[in-house]
Amino acid sequence: MNKDARKRLGQILLIVGRIALASIFIIAGYAKVKPLPGMAWSLASIKTSLLMFAIQVDSYQMLPPWTANALGHLLPLFELFLGLWLLTGIALRYSSLIATLAFCGFMAAIASAYHRGLAIDCGCGIGPLEQVGPAALIRDGLKFLPLALAVTIGAFWIHRKPRAASLPEATPSTQHAE
Amino acid sequence: MEVFTDYQCPSCRSLFEQTLRPMIADYVASGKVYLMHHDFPLSGHMYSGQAARWANAAARVGEFPAVEAALYDNQGAWETDGNIAKYISAAMSAVDFKRVETLAMSCDYPAITSRLDGSDPLAQMAHPCALDRYIAQDIQMGYHIPVQATPTYVITHNGQRLPAGSGVVSWPILKQFFDSLLSQ
Repeated sequence: MNKDARKRLGQILLIVGRIALASIFIIAGYAKVKPLPGMAWSLASIKTSLLMFAIQVDSYQMLPPWTANALGHLLPLFELFLGLWLLTGIALRYSSLIATLAFCGFMAAIASAYHRGLAIDCGCGIGPLEQVGPAALIRDGLKFLPLALAVTIGAFWIHRKPRAASLPEATPSTQHAE
Repeated sequence: MEVFTDYQCPSCRSLFEQTLRPMIADYVASGKVYLMHHDFPLSGHMYSGQAARWANAAARVGEFPAVEAALYDNQGAWETDGNIAKYISAAMSAVDFKRVETLAMSCDYPAITSRLDGSDPLAQMAHPCALDRYIAQDIQMGYHIPVQATPTYVITHNGQRLPAGSGVVSWPILKQFFDSLLSQ
């Protein structure tokens, strides 16, 4: 496989990884803002859903109630924003780095709650309700975090600046012109 | 709001002290929220089944709120020696306590608890006492939620059951959630 083919394959893999990563955040954010069962879409129903998520954030017992409330309202919107940002591919190095840090933060919160013996819903928003514990940590640690890391490394790799020593092709033609 | 609790669980105590107590005084008293208590004594707690019996006996004579508060307020004391009666007797008149005690002592076998395999805790019993039938009904209800830990709460609004939650939640946030539901 020549250099161009390798680069093309890398770009395709990066697009696939980027879309997968974006999907995780969009699905997680959507699950938190969508109206609760029996409610229609409206600003009031979205507010109720965000409050429901704020209750889950509060149950981690890591933050004072007003901070948990604010985080419960902001985090789903942040997840949707980050998912859409990743999808566009604009400044992918930064969006994927933020996604990686976000997963680290989520895992730290889950590990902390598990360590303190709390038996609470993780509030992850992906799939059915899930308690904090090894299953949630394994999912984030073995699937989502490696994906985010791979996209981040790939984004930095693609955007790396070429070194002067890596331009041997230009030398002969330059010599010929002379 | 239906709450599945275990009187010996520390998180249930926190939920009661920090959240349910102000909620009962405010939103339950004013009729905004209807609160239902369900027993879900965990098998790992030595005296929780016994405490549930006392609470159910007290409910039969109209003393449930006082006994619930007494059980949680003194959880750290009775969970060490199982002397629950001492704190129940202090929470009501001598006459009422006698009635409650008679009911609680009518069950002459070890108290029941929930089971990890989700089976009926009264399955092997030929003649369970009345109090344990109530507790077993709550446990069976909990299995269907499903209750995986205590406390677990389920909120039903306009006939629609919302996803169950578990753990301790602060009253200011829960209050905002109720206000949001009630405004719709």
